[in-house]
Amino acid sequence: MNAVVLDGFLDETGQDALAALRDALGSARFEVEVIALRTKTIAPCVGCFGCWVKTPGECVIDDEGRDVARSLARADVIVHFTPVTFGGVSSELKKALDRIIPNISPFFAKVQGETHHQKRYAQPPSLIGLGVLPTPDREAEALFKTLVEDNATNLRSPRTAVAVVALDRPDTFKEILHGLVEAVTR
Amino acid sequence: MTQRQALLLVGSPRGIENSTSGRLGGQLLDALERRGLKTQRLHVHEAVRSSQGLETALCAVGTADLMVLSLPLYVDSFPAPVIAFLEHVARSGTRRERVQFALIIQCGFPEKEQNETAIAIARRFASEVGWTWLGAIALGALETRGGSVNDAFDRAAEALAKGEPVPYVPVRTTMPAWLYRLGGNFMWWRVAKKNGTAGRLRAKPYAD
Repeated sequence: MNAVVLDGFLDETGQDALAALRDALGSARFEVEVIALRTKTIAPCVGCFGCWVKTPGECVIDDEGRDVARSLARADVIVHFTPVTFGGVSSELKKALDRIIPNISPFFAKVQGETHHQKRYAQPPSLIGLGVLPTPDREAEALFKTLVEDNATNLRSPRTAVAVVALDRPDTFKEILHGLVEAVTR
Repeated sequence: MTQRQALLLVGSPRGIENSTSGRLGGQLLDALERRGLKTQRLHVHEAVRSSQGLETALCAVGTADLMVLSLPLYVDSFPAPVIAFLEHVARSGTRRERVQFALIIQCGFPEKEQNETAIAIARRFASEVGWTWLGAIALGALETRGGSVNDAFDRAAEALAKGEPVPYVPVRTTMPAWLYRLGGNFMWWRVAKKNGTAGRLRAKPYAD
């Protein structure tokens, strides 16, 4: 199995958590690809829907956003790794997430009582959301978890696991991250 | 008494003139102008494209009394350039008392409830930068035009002009969700047919 980690940090702040994540994924025998989005040229989505109706399944913008979408389409597990930003994800992570809509179908379906899009690929990846905060913050954590669950519904992920780690509690990383990986593999 | 200033931040990649976000935000701003506020409009995507554009936008944010962010829901949240802009605002560290903040958000699905997480993120942003949260006008895909939408915007402008929270005003939906899904699916097929791609709408270019 393979896991693709979208690293949405602007700097090296989250590296200890990322190392613990690599370790947890490695222990579960995942091949791990980490994409440091800060090093990638990914233009903002222009909202043209060309990825659905002009070049179905591929963004019309020819940059590294396409490479990210390709990696995610072939992943068993994807990880949204981000500093929790206003309870959501960072702009670095979001610039990639906005460009992966070619990986779902334009066609609508009713999912859990709401309108969402159909799958493009038969087996969408499971989703891990890993947020990082300087210190524990219950409100931000709850909001981040809701956002990741919403993302999983839209991506049609079969399994979802979310956690937020606090940088002032590195002693908790190992247990939390092993728990996350176990939740999407059990 | 100093004239209050309202700043509209349009967070759609399609710009101020060509987007639903620009039209809806403009509708609110016009209503605020009629109530005596001085107004200004900015396109967020344009602002974050250059350091000069960013500086100009941050200056405008620094002088406005009421900020209205108008945008489409993108993957359960805001478009990336909008988050980048809000990160810049937060980093600029200019906490000003009595700055008010409201949101206009519309999603591509008929259920306006799908905007709720994004609204909570906007509220959290306001809290982090010390602005006063005045609420959101949240719209589904079928609710961006019509008499009840106009009524909601008039009532929102009336409240915001007085510095009060956006009131809840029910907006009439023009068709049931199932019909929207059916019509939407036909629309995708019809557009693809024009593009000569109808047979490839379910293509899997990244399949192993």
